[in-house]
Amino acid sequence: MFSRRQFLTRSLQGSSLLAFGSMVPEFIANTAQAAEKGKDTILVVIEMSGGNDGLNTVIPYGDDLYHKYRPTLGYQKDKVVRLNDHLGLNPGMNGFRQLWSQGQLAVVQGVGYPNPNRSHFESMDIWQTADPHGNLKTGWLGRSANELQGPSGFIPILHIGSGRQPPAIQGTPGGAVSINDRQNFQIDLGGGTVAQQKARRKLLEELSAPDGKSEEILQFVRLRQLRTMTSVERLHELLSKQNLRQNTVYGPDGFYGPNSLPMQLQLVANLIISGFGTRIFYVSLNGFDTHMNQVEDHRKLLAQLADGISNLFNLLKNGGHDKRVLVMTFSEFGRRVQENGSKGTDHGAASCLFVTGPALKGGIVGEHPSLKELDSGDLKYAIDFRRVYATLLDDWLHCDSKAVLGGKFEHVEGLKLKKA
Amino acid sequence: MALPSLLPLDKLDPAREWQAWQPDATRRWDRQWAGHLYRRAAFGAHLDELRAAEKRGPQATLDLLLQGQPECDDLLPALLTAGQLTATADEPDSLRGWWVYCMLHSGHPLREKLTLFWHNHFATSIAKVKSTREMFNQNKLLRQLALGKFGPFLLAISRDAAMIHWLDSNGNIKGKPNENYAREIMELFSLGLGHYTEKDIREAARAFTGWHTDSDGFGFEFAPRLHDDGVKTFLGQTGNWNGDDVVRIILQQPAAATFLVRKLYHFYVSETQEPTDGFLEPLADAFRKSDYDITALVRRILSSRHFFSDYAFRQRIKSPVEFVLGAVRSVYREYDAGDKRHQPLTQQNLVRYIDAMGQLLFAPPNVKGWRGAKAWLNTATMLERDNFAQALAMGKLWGNNYFRGNMSRVEPTFPPASTGAPAGQPKLGDQPEEPPPPTAFDPARVIHEEKAGSAKDIVRVLLDVYLPGGVRPAAEEKLVAFVAAGNPKGAALDRRIRETVHALLTMPEHQLA
Repeated sequence: MFSRRQFLTRSLQGSSLLAFGSMVPEFIANTAQAAEKGKDTILVVIEMSGGNDGLNTVIPYGDDLYHKYRPTLGYQKDKVVRLNDHLGLNPGMNGFRQLWSQGQLAVVQGVGYPNPNRSHFESMDIWQTADPHGNLKTGWLGRSANELQGPSGFIPILHIGSGRQPPAIQGTPGGAVSINDRQNFQIDLGGGTVAQQKARRKLLEELSAPDGKSEEILQFVRLRQLRTMTSVERLHELLSKQNLRQNTVYGPDGFYGPNSLPMQLQLVANLIISGFGTRIFYVSLNGFDTHMNQVEDHRKLLAQLADGISNLFNLLKNGGHDKRVLVMTFSEFGRRVQENGSKGTDHGAASCLFVTGPALKGGIVGEHPSLKELDSGDLKYAIDFRRVYATLLDDWLHCDSKAVLGGKFEHVEGLKLKKA
Repeated sequence: MALPSLLPLDKLDPAREWQAWQPDATRRWDRQWAGHLYRRAAFGAHLDELRAAEKRGPQATLDLLLQGQPECDDLLPALLTAGQLTATADEPDSLRGWWVYCMLHSGHPLREKLTLFWHNHFATSIAKVKSTREMFNQNKLLRQLALGKFGPFLLAISRDAAMIHWLDSNGNIKGKPNENYAREIMELFSLGLGHYTEKDIREAARAFTGWHTDSDGFGFEFAPRLHDDGVKTFLGQTGNWNGDDVVRIILQQPAAATFLVRKLYHFYVSETQEPTDGFLEPLADAFRKSDYDITALVRRILSSRHFFSDYAFRQRIKSPVEFVLGAVRSVYREYDAGDKRHQPLTQQNLVRYIDAMGQLLFAPPNVKGWRGAKAWLNTATMLERDNFAQALAMGKLWGNNYFRGNMSRVEPTFPPASTGAPAGQPKLGDQPEEPPPPTAFDPARVIHEEKAGSAKDIVRVLLDVYLPGGVRPAAEEKLVAFVAAGNPKGAALDRRIRETVHALLTMPEHQLA
């Protein structure tokens, strides 16, 4: 543990931010503990936005009721990626075959929460704040960042994407950091001498210096500006020094372009390998709101997901980084069991999620929700999603889940790590 | 500047706050408030416009903004024809460029700004609609009804082809209702959560069955054979309802007016305050009584004491469109086409930057639109703002498709996937200086026009242009010191001024609207 003065000197060396005394660096300083060895685990969270059709993701192909409810959308036994005599994955998810056969994939079934909300935005907020009552404004990951250990000056949570920052990471000390998968990572200070560029840079920092007197919105923007200046160039340096691992990832429909999920996960892999120190990465995949003609779109999305994740672990194998990483997926809700009249599905409730990584003892976790006993046409949940969070927070990130979730949640039986 | 010591909203008298503001000795109509009005009602103003507004007074300025420049009515048909032609090319970026052109040159920026509001309200994305023609038609509809009555607006949008495709209304048929549109019309377009039940959604979906596009795909057609003409109970009223009835019954709910007023409050007045329904009631009540007259509501808000107060001043974060167009309007000087200094603006560079900052027009992230406010600013988007400011201030924006930001996008698809080229990397070390830009794009021009001599005067003029209302004294001192350092003259001074403008544009105060 560094003293604050040491921390300032180390992490902001050469930056004129030092001139502002205590105000600026406080937000970085409180996360400046170094992680102990063996406790530098990483969680990659993938948001599947729109409401993933869990029933056509983990498919109970052996259940007659499934085929009755899904006359046009249902998959037969010979089409699925077989998990066991009853269950199979969507045909798009071939990329998961290896992770499954090596026992590194946990399929968690029947995940949800009481009194399901079927609004995208409300339910997404519930999952991300981990608060079904809507009282909390911060996210579960943002709150956990207060407790995460990491190297000096590290960025605890990194969001890949240029869209809005997800609620899950709100509450991160100093504001969470977002980057695009291919960004300049440099503040353009134009031509002229190095001295003039430095003078310009210094001016920008001074103009954004917080003063403790101004109103909240202005302080917010100042901190965002400073955070940008201190973090982007560090990223730029790391990623250009490094011999970046870049490969083309092929899926069933051709290769994945920049900004696709597999490419974003490739950036995550590079950041992990380069020792960036971030403990939580957040990535999202949009398009799961499949009200109409969903078969093709849904299959392609799940292919991106499975191919992206399997490529991430392939890259991480080099140097053994894969053992430090777990991936968790989630979506705001599942979809109605009965398909609608337009070969799609409307908003539903409980669904499935995946947790995967070599450190995991994979398998089927929980029972597939009954297709006989529905809750107004939707699957009933058996596992509260906060139990999944609690398991990962305590066992994987070594954070006190009670502090993060505001209460004790029973761990999910069957969601376990391999014995070290 | 607004102080943290302001009374909470519920301690204020709503009736008084929403009265028309009369300038007096304690609060004069000056450049600060003229700039405030232009930032909110339009896309900012250049110095000459601000001066003219100061002379004209607040009411006459607002009248002008609400009516548009005298030539705007003649211009509109030509702009729409251009848009229609652009839309046939099926290149979304061209359509975006066209809209940005309208925002800058239509002579009616208030209408364009409100069109943008409605685009975010009835948020529809080309990522799923996949037709520039439909998106253009919808944009035209939003513009046409932007300042009209909300009732016909809601009905027209329910029949809009892009909306029908976006929310799957073609799949909504008798016996197999698709609830997508029925849910969002209440949750996001009119009432807000808590004012209807899941049962109301199912019943409304039944009422909307058969509301489809025509065989052409671009128009609306009611398909009676696919319509469920059974009895429905919707929001407590029972009858053989169709879509018109749903819209009618929705607008009978008191919550509808409050919902829209609240949204416009955040858009025009403040993102930092969350008013109670009671505080908004004078506006909501008048809105109901006027049969949902949008122009009257907008006028009331933008002329109120509350609008011209510290509760509103710099209490919003600029959207990317506001940030980019506001900065461009401050820098750019439109010379007559015959003038040798004349340079036309190119829209496409602006479109790319606006996208990189997180606001790809015609492609909001989902049906709730852009979240806006603080969500606009993260590390990635802040960097784009900083680097846009640099390109604009140094006059580099107007070259052949200059773009140095994160241009890794092609059109979003549904599901999204994209491709593109990596951006160039600036090198460390001494660099050749950029050549001075053409006069029309040169931020140093204003200093010569205003004959500012000392570093202090120069900074004062620049603040007047870019941040009317000023900044904290400590920041102003830093700016003066930066301009004065080494006592530059001639071309070196001009360059220093451009660098100062870059800094001003990145300032936290300048991120606020």
